[in-house]
Amino acid sequence: MTPDPAAMSEAVVQGDAALAARLARAAVDSGADLVGAVERGFAAGLRRVGELWEAGDYFLPELVQGAEAMKAAMAVLLPALREGSTGAGRGRVVIGTVAGDLHDIGKGLVAVLLSAHGFEVHDLGTDVPVEAFVARARELDARIVAASALLTTTMQAQRELVRAVAAASFTRPPLVLVGGAPTSAAWAREIGAAWAENALGAARVALELTT
Amino acid sequence: MRGLAERLARGPCLRLDGGLGTMLMARGLPPGAPPELWNAGRTADVTAVHRAYVEAGSEAVQTNSFGGHPARLLRYGLAERCEELNDAAVSAARAAGPAFVIGDLGPTGEYLPPVGQGDLERWRLGFERQARALAAAGADGLHVETLSDLREARVALAAARSAAPGLPVMVSLTVERRPRGFFTVMGDPAVKALRALHEAGAAACGLNCSITSGDMAVVAAQALAQLPGVRLVFQPNAGQPEQGPEGLRYAQSPEEFARDLAPLAAAGAAALGGCCGTDPRFVAALARALGAP
Repeated sequence: MTPDPAAMSEAVVQGDAALAARLARAAVDSGADLVGAVERGFAAGLRRVGELWEAGDYFLPELVQGAEAMKAAMAVLLPALREGSTGAGRGRVVIGTVAGDLHDIGKGLVAVLLSAHGFEVHDLGTDVPVEAFVARARELDARIVAASALLTTTMQAQRELVRAVAAASFTRPPLVLVGGAPTSAAWAREIGAAWAENALGAARVALELTT
Repeated sequence: MRGLAERLARGPCLRLDGGLGTMLMARGLPPGAPPELWNAGRTADVTAVHRAYVEAGSEAVQTNSFGGHPARLLRYGLAERCEELNDAAVSAARAAGPAFVIGDLGPTGEYLPPVGQGDLERWRLGFERQARALAAAGADGLHVETLSDLREARVALAAARSAAPGLPVMVSLTVERRPRGFFTVMGDPAVKALRALHEAGAAACGLNCSITSGDMAVVAAQALAQLPGVRLVFQPNAGQPEQGPEGLRYAQSPEEFARDLAPLAAAGAAALGGCCGTDPRFVAALARALGAP
């Protein structure tokens, strides 16, 4: 039976990792649309967790449990998504959270959704220096370098990244995509990068950039 | 001289100090380096910072041992120097000549599951070890501060009280302004958590760091109104850190800070001071606003 996206969403909202993994398994086994399961199910749940946090109903433990449930679902979905990906060959993405910044959840979600859309994603983790982004992008001939920053004090590193990419020699320079709570379209314009407001937006922008 | 416990209980409002880390950085402490190391190697610099606060009007200074919990020292390979660095922290503060030296204890820097892999029992043993060292070095009292989890605060308070039975132990949580009021990141509501810490035997309990003096005035007024008879301590930041052309800066002026805090003394606060971004100018402005001699 194809699981209901609302149930997937609710598993994340409730922070129930075991249930999220079971629902993900059921989606794979039933041959359901897995990108849809991510976007309308689990990722929708994670957005709801974010809204509940914004509203002051959720705190750090609930955020973490929601993210853990999301991760549990993706651990099941990702291998199946990669196998069945129709968009394979979209190219490589190097992604990370900038130096001095340890925020992981939003960046992780972007990585997951880009994978779901057929990109080969190389996640450098958090607290990533500009040089590491550039070195890895050169090594992999990446199409996109995606940098997350969640603090007004660390978003400056996104500007440095754009400059460093421009200054480095590439056979085909990658596009820089930035995001994170303090960033904006105006900020991205100012530093000369592409921007997405959230993880789904990032996937959309990445597809546009590479089409 | 009257003891710290009596002063907290009977007043007048005790003037604490302000930020330490930024002042040590101004003297050359590299960003990311453990400030506690300077208690042993650069003692004169640590004492000079404390003395600047005493000269500005701080009656009590808090030792340079925020990161002195063994779990935190371990990250720098310094866990085995826990006793030595905490002992040196008290000596460096005492040399500045304040009326009171308060031994400072910060959080472990770890979280309990599901957020992290922290362990309450291991935390307790560490807090006991640090508190014992600070007490043995002659601190007049202890202050466990900037805790973001009431469970950690309770464990730290109990550990400090058992390791230093003769000393008053203060505990401060750090809270954020959320849509439904002031809470720790773990979801503990501020006033309720303070009541719990008072009932658990804190000589004083309070809030520090994270929020501006304006927000602190709001939550402090709630606490003072809802917790009559509870000894309360407040140490806000000098605004929010902002990225300026010359690096990180804090937005508030000493005068604004003092204007927000001074009424809290009249409303019955047991102790007032500053946290990140504050310096001796803030303490001096507060002392003036409190009509200090």
